[in-house]
Amino acid sequence: MTSTEDLLPTLAPQVLGVLVRRYRQFDLCEDAVQEALLAATAQWPGEGVPDNPHGWLVTVAARRFVDAVRSENASRRREERAAVLEEPLSGIESPQSDDTLSLLVLCCHPALSPPSQLALTLRAVGGLTTAEIAAAFLVPETTMAQRISRAKKTIRAAGATFGTPDDVEDRLAVVRHVLYLMFNEGYTASSGQVLARTELTGEAIRLTRMLRRTLPDDGEVAGLLALMLLTDARRPSRTGPNGDLVPLAEQDRSLWDATSIAEGTALVEEALARGALGPYKLQAAIGALHAEAATAEETDWAQIVGLYELLGKLSPNPVYTLNHAVALGMACGPRAGLDLLTTLDDERLAGNHRVAAVRAHLLELAGEPDAAREQYRIAARQTSSLPERRYLEGRASSTRAR
Amino acid sequence: MKYMLMIYDNPETRSVFFGPDGDALMAEMDALMAELTESGELVSTDALADPASSKVVRVRDGVPAITDGPLAEAKEHFGGYLIVDCDSEARAVEIAARWPSAKFTAMEVRPILDISGEEM
Repeated sequence: MTSTEDLLPTLAPQVLGVLVRRYRQFDLCEDAVQEALLAATAQWPGEGVPDNPHGWLVTVAARRFVDAVRSENASRRREERAAVLEEPLSGIESPQSDDTLSLLVLCCHPALSPPSQLALTLRAVGGLTTAEIAAAFLVPETTMAQRISRAKKTIRAAGATFGTPDDVEDRLAVVRHVLYLMFNEGYTASSGQVLARTELTGEAIRLTRMLRRTLPDDGEVAGLLALMLLTDARRPSRTGPNGDLVPLAEQDRSLWDATSIAEGTALVEEALARGALGPYKLQAAIGALHAEAATAEETDWAQIVGLYELLGKLSPNPVYTLNHAVALGMACGPRAGLDLLTTLDDERLAGNHRVAAVRAHLLELAGEPDAAREQYRIAARQTSSLPERRYLEGRASSTRAR
Repeated sequence: MKYMLMIYDNPETRSVFFGPDGDALMAEMDALMAELTESGELVSTDALADPASSKVVRVRDGVPAITDGPLAEAKEHFGGYLIVDCDSEARAVEIAARWPSAKFTAMEVRPILDISGEEM
């Protein structure tokens, strides 16, 4: 028998989809589904999973929704909402495949800030509890509860409804970006001590897979999934025993997850073979080149440089330029990388530690240890991440004159 | 991104806040706190007791030495803090500017070190 923990994450968006299609009021429906999920968590492990778990959840959630509307009506606007309750509750609709997409688009509403989009997506589509989301973002549960409730009010005020908006391609770009942010939140967690955060990578991959089933022909969704899989494959080797960061070149590649790499590589190859190029597809292709190199030295840096050139043309971004400079340093020597850095005058990167960190790395390769050390120290002071600071200070003190 | 907004006080500002004109300032503070709670930006906040009640603890050669009073003889002292989780440094600075203490002494806004780190 399938366990409750396996079932609920898949059922959560399906049940919410049914309710929102039936009652339209996203905020109240979302509360009702959350309560139904909690009831299932409490009852199913003891009493057994019902024969029709989807129907059970829809029935319980609908009952909670009706109760909530009734109590709201008791205090105000009785007649306005009464019509909602007259619809039959007996029939249990089957889930529709595009409900997940509609929910994602709704949660990633442009009126919300990215952290709110992320929190709401985790709750409404991922079926996570507020407590779980709060733990993942390291804030008190009350703080997260406020954020989620405010996000739902904003969506209600914006008059957003269920369905496909006109600007679907723009909205889909936001959805992909939110899933990517979710993945990164989990991936950058420095060690296993912060389990709640690392679970975010799994959740991001699961939701992106779900999105891909809905949109099998979207090359950027495929690219995003591939990028996540290829990056996540390196997770076991990216930190040392004390949570210290291990750079790509020094990672123990035997720890990389071969299954994820195989799946990610196949996805990239398929996505590259058809359809237009996009930033996720290109980044995934770079990830695949790293993954297929048996050692850091064997990396096909020339091809990676070419991909960064394409990426920079397609969607100019100073962070891509920084990575491009690193790749160029490996392919054509550190001077070429440093030259590219001098062209980087972007206020989005002002005071960003990554510029100094990349410059330090290239100066170290160029045989200028004093200058490298100084740049490592600047980077160490600029970062607001504890493991990065430790790593950069460590680099500064191990960079010695040859 | 989390920031600590450090509230600096001196004996005069403390008497203003706790004196007869303090009610309006406290109301300003309460309104801002309610707003930050409602927006989900407030992570935590506390006010500290008077520095006269401080104990300074030092361990030398494994032996703790405990003395009275604030660590540094300064006109201003660390009086309390807010931790906010907000979208940008600009927003954290905006909140600090609206905290009434900023009118008398100063607020210091500093990022809190993140336990996450990017791949190098």
